[in-house]
Amino acid sequence: MSLEKKDEFDHDAWLKRKDLTAVETAFLTTLIWMDKRLRIVDYLELLETLYYRINLQMPKSHTEQYDLDNKFWYWYPLYSLGSLSIIAYLVAAVSGALLGFYYSPSTAGAAAAGDPTAAWLSIEMIIKDIQFGFMLRSIHRWAAQFMVAAVFLHMLRVYFTGAYKEPREGNWILGVILILLTLLFGYSGYVLPWKQLSFWAAQIGVEMALATPIVGEWAAQLLFGGFTLGQATLVRMYIMHVFLLPFVVTALIALHVGIVWVQGIAEPH
Amino acid sequence: MTDQHTSTDPTGTDEQEPLTDGGTDGEARTDGGPPATIPPDDETPTWSERKERSQGLSRLTYEYFERARREDQDLRQESTYVERDVLGFPAWPHETIRNLAITSFFVGIIILVSATIPMYFENPANASSTPSIILPDWYLYWSFGLLKLNPINPGLAVLDGNLVFSHEFFGILGHGLIIGVIALVPFLNKGNARRPVEQPFWSAVGVMGALLSVTLAALAIQNFFPFELELLFTLVFILPFLGGVVTYAVLKTMREGYMYDLNKRYYRLRPPQ
Repeated sequence: MSLEKKDEFDHDAWLKRKDLTAVETAFLTTLIWMDKRLRIVDYLELLETLYYRINLQMPKSHTEQYDLDNKFWYWYPLYSLGSLSIIAYLVAAVSGALLGFYYSPSTAGAAAAGDPTAAWLSIEMIIKDIQFGFMLRSIHRWAAQFMVAAVFLHMLRVYFTGAYKEPREGNWILGVILILLTLLFGYSGYVLPWKQLSFWAAQIGVEMALATPIVGEWAAQLLFGGFTLGQATLVRMYIMHVFLLPFVVTALIALHVGIVWVQGIAEPH
Repeated sequence: MTDQHTSTDPTGTDEQEPLTDGGTDGEARTDGGPPATIPPDDETPTWSERKERSQGLSRLTYEYFERARREDQDLRQESTYVERDVLGFPAWPHETIRNLAITSFFVGIIILVSATIPMYFENPANASSTPSIILPDWYLYWSFGLLKLNPINPGLAVLDGNLVFSHEFFGILGHGLIIGVIALVPFLNKGNARRPVEQPFWSAVGVMGALLSVTLAALAIQNFFPFELELLFTLVFILPFLGGVVTYAVLKTMREGYMYDLNKRYYRLRPPQ
């Protein structure tokens, strides 16, 4: 193959031949410039494929195949609980990211016992001073409550419809792990404002860890940063709440849903 | 690819002479012949050849794959399922609009509730004054109730600074027991039963567990009720058991009607000779 450009690839000549308007020329020039560097055409082809894929039809579900809609349509809300918990999780993630701009995980500023700490004061500032701050915190808290409630009810639905049976045992265990992580999410978030009940909830956590033989002290050090509560506890809970758990839980949710996708929804017979 | 070109041309109408490297002069090609990484067709081992050549675990894997593939094929051939032209609702717009509607409705509910029932905020933490009521969020009440199962010392050991090792550890063991049983459910309950009527026992177990979580939560917030502690303790375990028994009885009774319905439908389709 010769290295010289052939005429059909001379885009400039092609542009001149086309006799385009200024807008069209600008658009095409930009497109060609971008395409030479980023191979946009490939991605456009992908998009085109996606467009046709999305217009394909979903396979007929068990319900539709056996015409069971009229029999248990009233159970359908129970089958949306899993997605409801994901939606609540997303709402909590967005509102939590916004709250993160104003919250400071610090116990500084408390001279005597019972004095407000920096963490408590930052929440107070969110509530009292920030525009829509009260609403934002309220949304975050309620989204968390909705998520936990949806997760619990989702587990009950899966239990009572026997959806955990072969071949879905692994996904059930993954779900149990996800429930525990959700509770840990809620617990670590509960501690963050460093209000009176947060402190004592964390205190009970430390007591529980310390009551466990062999691994207890190690767990207390790892989760609470020591045997007495303080700055280390708050920072550990904060990192767990805003860094570790979001990654782990999001990944596990994706895996959970991916397995459902592969194995199919367990619909009642 | 050039091999294919010459071999799939049985009529010999191709005018171009094949060159020594297998290509023809008219087309662009790389310097060498066909890429060396792809062995010629006759040298590529088939699946059965690979199976024969390999040993041990990989051989077993190949053999299983072949069996599974054959099983799939047989099942598909035996199946009476008929694919239709229209297999369901299209993803766009039907499914997408429905999902968007559900999502925005649910998000709207969250925003509405958080606007009408805002969360209150308490005093800052005070390590030197223990509040009379210590509580986690509602979803951890069951866990907190497990810690209060010691009838002798229902208040937490935190309160007087006197750690009762065994009682707290029993509470933690209770957590492990409950989580372990829940995780083992798929391995204990086998079979094809799906609806609660079809599995009265396991549904009763489920109702028992759900009720136990509620009664344990009630135990955790006992300070709020004008309720005798001894009675509450009894109820914590009696109520779930009663609920389980009632569920079992109800489902067993329903099961007869359910089976009657199934049989009726069956015999309507296939009347007895």
